[in-house]
Amino acid sequence: MDGNNSAPLSSSVSRLPTSGSSALARAWAVCAKDAAQELRRRIAIASIFFFAATAVTLVSFGIGPFGLPAEARDRVCSALLWIILFFCAATGLPRAFVREEETGTAYALRKVVPASLTLAGKTLFNYLLFLAIAAVTVPAFSILLEWRVESPGSLAALLVLAGYGLSVVSTFLAALVARASQKNVLFVVISFPLLLPLLLSAIVATVEAAGGSMPSTPLRVVVAYDGAATCAGYLLASAAWED
Amino acid sequence: MKTLKILLLPYMAAIIVGAFLWPAPAQGFIGESSRIVFFHVPCAWTSALAFLVAAAYSVAYLARRYPAHDDMAAGAVRLGLLFAVLALVTGALFAKIMWGAYWNWDPRESSFLLLIFLYAAYLFLRAAVEDPERRARMSAAYALFAAVLMPFLFFVAPRVTASLHPQTVINRQGKILMDAPTKAVFFGALIAFSWLFVWMLGLEARAARLARRDRARG
Repeated sequence: MDGNNSAPLSSSVSRLPTSGSSALARAWAVCAKDAAQELRRRIAIASIFFFAATAVTLVSFGIGPFGLPAEARDRVCSALLWIILFFCAATGLPRAFVREEETGTAYALRKVVPASLTLAGKTLFNYLLFLAIAAVTVPAFSILLEWRVESPGSLAALLVLAGYGLSVVSTFLAALVARASQKNVLFVVISFPLLLPLLLSAIVATVEAAGGSMPSTPLRVVVAYDGAATCAGYLLASAAWED
Repeated sequence: MKTLKILLLPYMAAIIVGAFLWPAPAQGFIGESSRIVFFHVPCAWTSALAFLVAAAYSVAYLARRYPAHDDMAAGAVRLGLLFAVLALVTGALFAKIMWGAYWNWDPRESSFLLLIFLYAAYLFLRAAVEDPERRARMSAAYALFAAVLMPFLFFVAPRVTASLHPQTVINRQGKILMDAPTKAVFFGALIAFSWLFVWMLGLEARAARLARRDRARG
């Protein structure tokens, strides 16, 4: 971030609603602030979408629409899809807190908004970003690999539910690594094992959705994971973000 | 500490002798391979115990901010990783005998490997933060977050897909399917490994205390 942008960013933190406003309004204000900052710079969001496009293109070049035997198709495509979504998330979602440290607005944000509401607002922004990435990546993946999902409604529900868990965990871990050295590598190292139960369940559910059945068992695991991660994130927010 | 060590030695020796000589090998397993249960399960149990102890000390650290609690949490994670690696190695030996390959991507094998990654990441996080107070707070937050999500690795992920793993001690019938001598040695081994962990954690705490004293003296 160059120095020219830091003044408007600091002022955007000072414009956040203070303790008189409702918790929801304050969390939403953090989300709106992040969205405004990212849309103002554009390059960060554009690079995430470019990363997704590159990954999908690379996979389609490598495998192509007819490079997989029919019986392995659903399993391999499901795994590849979630690997691409995970790395897109790992590229973009940690920025939520890292940017605050880089631009020097973290201190002001800590003073103005409680940690749990900061985490909630940034999780919301990351969740919306993930859904936008998925909305572009999944159809592109399906078209380029000629991969037909028999139950698109189940897949959409899965993306909404698993995307939420991914956003909660990624945002919490982003708060942890924001002031560590080697942030980007560290984020992947610590997020991969924590997200793997979610990703494994999501892959199993995607295979079932692609085959046309309702993935009820893995979806229940995803919902339980979402609940556990939300509670843990809320309770530990101040420990992760306070100074 | 010294008494703990002196009593642990003959007790552990008795358990090892008992494991090889007392109960008959279990039916349905090749040769004597079932005897690995006296070492593999206690290692897995002790690693889970160590990670729970780490979570408890992390709660204590966040509540009181005593550096000694952070030292204990970090020591418990290091020991938990040691026992988890031992459980993974003994499991791989059993897999080679029973299923013909050391690694079969069985959900239980994979989830245990991921558990190792999960807590190895804790040590990476510690190494990446310079400031001791910040390191302790972030490590405690991560350890607790990991403890909340750990059951998904231990209990949920292995049940989403089919497993080759023999019935676990905590099974769906809620019964321990062992004869009396096997049960005696098995539970004796659980106590022995837990005891070993307590003794080793005591050593970790002493080493951390001395290191902190050294740093304070400059």
